[in-house]
Amino acid sequence: MNGVSFSETTEKGKRILLDPRTKLFLLLTITTLMFSTSNEGIMNIVKPCLSLVPFVLILSERRFRAAGKYLLLYAVCFVLERIALTVLSGLLSFLVLAVTSIMTRFAPGIMTGAWLISSTSVSEFIGAAERMHVTEKIVIPMSVIFRFFPTISEEYQAIQDAMKMRGIRFGGKNPLLMMEYRLVPLMVSVVKIGDELSAAALTRGLGAPVRRTNVCQIGFRFQDVFATIFCILCFILFLFQKQIIF
Amino acid sequence: MIRIDHVTFSYGEENESAGGVQDINLNIEDGQFIVLCGESGCGKTTITRLINGLIPHYYEGKMNGEVWVNGAKISEQPLYDTAKTVGSVFQNPRSQFFNVDTTSEITFGCENLGQPKQGIRERLEKTVRNFRLEKLMGRNIFHLSGGEKQKIACAGVSIMEPDVLVMDEPSSNLDASSILDLRATLAFWKSQGKTIIVSEHRLYYLRGLADCFIYITAGQVEKDYSAAEFEQLTERQRADMGLRTFILEDLLPPETSPQTGKQMELHNFCFAYKNEPETLHISKDKIPANRIVGIIGNNGAGKSTFSRCFCGLEKRCGEVIWNGRTYRPKDRLNTCYMVMQEVNHQLFTETVLDEVRISMEDENQEWAEEILSSLDLGDIKDRHPMSLSGGQKQRVAIASAIASKRSILFFDEPTSGLDYKHMKEVANVLRQVRNTGITVYVITHDLELILECCTDIVHFENGSILDQFQMDASGLEKIWSFFLRGCL
Repeated sequence: MNGVSFSETTEKGKRILLDPRTKLFLLLTITTLMFSTSNEGIMNIVKPCLSLVPFVLILSERRFRAAGKYLLLYAVCFVLERIALTVLSGLLSFLVLAVTSIMTRFAPGIMTGAWLISSTSVSEFIGAAERMHVTEKIVIPMSVIFRFFPTISEEYQAIQDAMKMRGIRFGGKNPLLMMEYRLVPLMVSVVKIGDELSAAALTRGLGAPVRRTNVCQIGFRFQDVFATIFCILCFILFLFQKQIIF
Repeated sequence: MIRIDHVTFSYGEENESAGGVQDINLNIEDGQFIVLCGESGCGKTTITRLINGLIPHYYEGKMNGEVWVNGAKISEQPLYDTAKTVGSVFQNPRSQFFNVDTTSEITFGCENLGQPKQGIRERLEKTVRNFRLEKLMGRNIFHLSGGEKQKIACAGVSIMEPDVLVMDEPSSNLDASSILDLRATLAFWKSQGKTIIVSEHRLYYLRGLADCFIYITAGQVEKDYSAAEFEQLTERQRADMGLRTFILEDLLPPETSPQTGKQMELHNFCFAYKNEPETLHISKDKIPANRIVGIIGNNGAGKSTFSRCFCGLEKRCGEVIWNGRTYRPKDRLNTCYMVMQEVNHQLFTETVLDEVRISMEDENQEWAEEILSSLDLGDIKDRHPMSLSGGQKQRVAIASAIASKRSILFFDEPTSGLDYKHMKEVANVLRQVRNTGITVYVITHDLELILECCTDIVHFENGSILDQFQMDASGLEKIWSFFLRGCL
């Protein structure tokens, strides 16, 4: 149930506290540069450096096992990719290269994205969006959407259980019907929850035409500056790699 | 001061009178504690919505008359202004929090109104102290129990310091000890001189707090009782009015039925959710079979984990020996059936009849109709399950369980949020099911349901069975002490 969900805490001091905007910039840098096709020269150093970023971030959350798994996965794929490029040839090389390069390109971005969401609370997200002058008309629905992921997964789990109890005997026959059995109750309950949620939020003053305050502290600090410089440096290296003699 | 001046309201599209109100006239003085009571669908909830402004600003319909709170016309005042004077707590703790973490949830209201940061922090500190929430701060709300969620909801309203508090069936999803917490919250607000309006089925926890009980039938104020007058009524009179018990001590014990002696043996019921400590540890025990067994215990005692394991929803947990046969989790999946609290989750098809037919091994139209009529569903067999009332949905789920020839039925809180009449109906259905030879286990926090139909009690605490007893004179004593611990 922990899937995609905003963080449960706004308390500080527990982790490297990066501003949500810095987090977004990090994500942007990693996804863009990891996807960029070139894999030569200086990028051969930049890319592994970038893929170490999610490792450090997850480590900072004290999720040692997840960090270890990620590092192992990435290292194996990285090594295999080199082997495929140099030693192997033919179809085998193609296959290994296809799998490993997809992994090395996607994994860092996905991990950073997951970390971004799990380490940012709803109010930090709203606060950061406000500072970036995104209108409330976008911010509020966005935050509700993220608030809804865990709800949907809870509801879906309950429906799944109910189906299991009813016996699989009426499943399997018709996949379309199975979809319907799952989606109809899910939609009914999610709509109901959404309706009650809006009513509750409105009675607590959501939508008042004043500037919303935000208690959580966000703002740029030393580590943000450091991360930002790191990202900019990576971009510079990427853009001017041809000029840099290596 | 709240003035409801000749208000008539009916909900939009459906022309049914259900839920609407006619010609409501009420004056509520500052600092009064009012309870709105009456059967389901009598219009209690509608009155709460008139006061907090959700009618006419959120729920649409036809409205006549005017509601005034502290001199402001609710219908002409935007909701965010009403929010400053009227705080609302709702029935379902799952659907009234907007944030994922508890701390920002509590400050949410103040932030919306754009109050200064420092002020909010001070208020937060005060609220946390008043509600003793230190342990709940900075937690994920999705991981809290219903009672804890409701406490956060109350704190989130309280921090805005409204003069008026409106609660719509706040106890319906809570266990016995959380209801006592709720009572403490209400007592705190009362001591601060707040005006409190509670719409509620369960009345016992409001005894000694409420100043006035307003009895509503069919959308109209039938009678206005002072606390003393309400106390004077006999339980019989209240039952005739369709109201739940007010004085728990006056409840009558059930007729005891002789013990059958049949039991189920449980082996190795130990279970831990992924990455969590073990929540259930029963290495060997016996529980009664062929009876209606009430399963009681506070939240977190392991009741629902136990029922999930028993029904075979958790693949690797325990063995049951019954009638000389060993049932592994997989066998139990086909022997047991759980009627969930949220029945919506377990109805899938387009008609009631289909719902029953689909559960049968060989479709047998006649038998399906027989089951339906025995559960009083014969007339509505062609309706869509989602269009039915809560009680009817529950019976459809039971019908499908009978159709699939399950011999053990679990019920998870079948009477949460039900009025007296519907609670009685559920009790009757449980007895009826038991009489066909099916063993019934009911997880419940509802003392009245227990006294109405349970023959045995299994009491859970800290993941194991603390006690089990029959509902005879000594069993009754024990059940009192469980439900009334620290109460009143």
